[in-house]
Amino acid sequence: MGILEIKQLYKRFGHHEVLKGLDMDVPEHSIFGFVGQNGAGKTTTMKIILGLLKADSGSVTVCGEKVTYGETKTNRNIGFVPDVPEFYGYMNPMEYLKLCGEITGLPKNKIKSRSEELLELVGLKDEKRKIGQFSRGMKQRLGIAQALLNEPKLLICDEPTSALDPIGRKEILDILLAAKGKTTIVFSTHILSDVERICDHIAVLHDGKLALCGTLSEIKKRHRHNGFILEFENEKDAFLFENAEELKQPSISLSRDGTTVRVFLTDRNMDGHFLLSVLSQKRLVPLKFEVMEPTLETLFVEVVR
Amino acid sequence: MRGYLVFLKKEIFEYTKTYKLLIMLVVFAIFGITNPLIAKLLPEILESLATDGVIITLPDPTAYDAWEQFFKNATQMGLIVTVIIFSGVLSSELSKGTLINLLTKGLSRTAVILSKYTCMVLVWTASIALCFGLTYGYTVYLFPKDETSNLLFSVFCLWLFGLFLLAVLIFSATLTKSNYGCLLITFVAVVACMIMDIIPAMHRYNPISLATDNMGLIMNSIEVSSLYSAILISCLLSLIFVSLSVTIFRRKQL
Amino acid sequence: MDLSMLKEYLPFLIPLVILQFALSITALIHVLRHPHYRFGNKVMWVLVVMFIHFVGPILYFALGKGED
Repeated sequence: MGILEIKQLYKRFGHHEVLKGLDMDVPEHSIFGFVGQNGAGKTTTMKIILGLLKADSGSVTVCGEKVTYGETKTNRNIGFVPDVPEFYGYMNPMEYLKLCGEITGLPKNKIKSRSEELLELVGLKDEKRKIGQFSRGMKQRLGIAQALLNEPKLLICDEPTSALDPIGRKEILDILLAAKGKTTIVFSTHILSDVERICDHIAVLHDGKLALCGTLSEIKKRHRHNGFILEFENEKDAFLFENAEELKQPSISLSRDGTTVRVFLTDRNMDGHFLLSVLSQKRLVPLKFEVMEPTLETLFVEVVR
Repeated sequence: MRGYLVFLKKEIFEYTKTYKLLIMLVVFAIFGITNPLIAKLLPEILESLATDGVIITLPDPTAYDAWEQFFKNATQMGLIVTVIIFSGVLSSELSKGTLINLLTKGLSRTAVILSKYTCMVLVWTASIALCFGLTYGYTVYLFPKDETSNLLFSVFCLWLFGLFLLAVLIFSATLTKSNYGCLLITFVAVVACMIMDIIPAMHRYNPISLATDNMGLIMNSIEVSSLYSAILISCLLSLIFVSLSVTIFRRKQL
Repeated sequence: MDLSMLKEYLPFLIPLVILQFALSITALIHVLRHPHYRFGNKVMWVLVVMFIHFVGPILYFALGKGED
């Protein structure tokens, strides 16, 4: 049983149907990458989980408890980092965390020790300035600190890295990795390299449903067979192979770069054997015949297309 | 309940830090001091302005003139400044998104509306009390012999009208997204009250009587009991507007 | 205005002057320490806050002050 379960979720805005029966299951203690194009419905899904938006139909359960719109009971188990966290500009980080702690109902001495601990984690410990003067990345880090304050079982981050420079992004990813042991993290993004860097589970949202879901290695294994790299001794051989009659099919795409040819088979019934038979027919021996390890990017482009 | 108190504390902190409390207090303090002063000086100023040949004779100023200034300033500029200061009470938080974060932490939406209303009432009460205290002190100093009747009751009516206006304001704030929309709806509500006041039979029940009959009360030309219905109606309407705000805000998609 | 009149109005003038000074100085400090305004620039706001009595500082806090 997952810590977060979504069943048959539907949501439309006017005529635009954003979620068309979304099913998702987030296992405990995972870092769950929630990937999708801009406007795919990631933020909508998150707002429904938080009870901030009303779903048209379907159910969401957090830690076995059903989420109801407008109520905030299930939120005691959730920490949320909005995509553009905004805080009261006239407070300093410590004052803000104190306010959050009091709203959650943490005991006074706990608020203080926990705030200090978290500000240390996100590197804002000695920051005495007002939040109004913070940079984007600092606000993002404070966002994570406030979300972790009540030791949530589930941490939801909405595009935590998309507006940051590479250094800011690395800082955020490191903080998330550090928080991993204590909580389950769901984070949405469209930056695939971030997902590859820290996530163990991944789900791709496309057309209102999950197009892809599982652990990273599982998914890669499932899609391994259809990309190949062949390296030939000289350009003539490469050219001969590239222009073989047998390979002129709509389900095969080829690209040549000097002596290297890349082949993608989009027909599931075809595999490496077919390429080997073409090679032996043409009496060509490649220097290298390699099964391409799919990158997340190629997978993503493939399922979203 | 805990959410209500914590958020109320945050609201008060906010009004202090954003200088809104300071503005309110200073504006009302200035009115408080200048009310009796203007009452005292106005005849002299007018006389000095008079050209040769025109003789303006004015009766000596009294405490009534000071209180007339008080009620004129408080019901006009005072209430306008109050409404403008508070017009962003919800829109500033909603447009920036500062509230969402706290709502996801278990703060109830009812607590948000109630503590925001409470805080506005507190600031209004402090401001009008300061203004009243200053005007009272200086009026006694300048016009020690003059007596007024029903003074406290008259100020109470004005204070209650402020509460009614703030209830309308928070109701408007839940209906719109911007502070201009909030100002507009509040303005329309006040104008509606004024238009209804044209019908003499309605005057007894119209909340606006609480802000127009004040001098009459002090001069004893209006009976205290004639305002009881308006007081009751204003209390009821304030209660209804605040409850409606809570209901609407609870259903609002953020 | 003669001296006796000034004396009579001293109890009014002192608090008003104090209020004006307090307001101007609070606003002036804020203008100098927070160089972001919704409109206008530093020089303009310093002048407004210092020389338009009462209304200047209130205008600044209500309209001119940038977001924190």
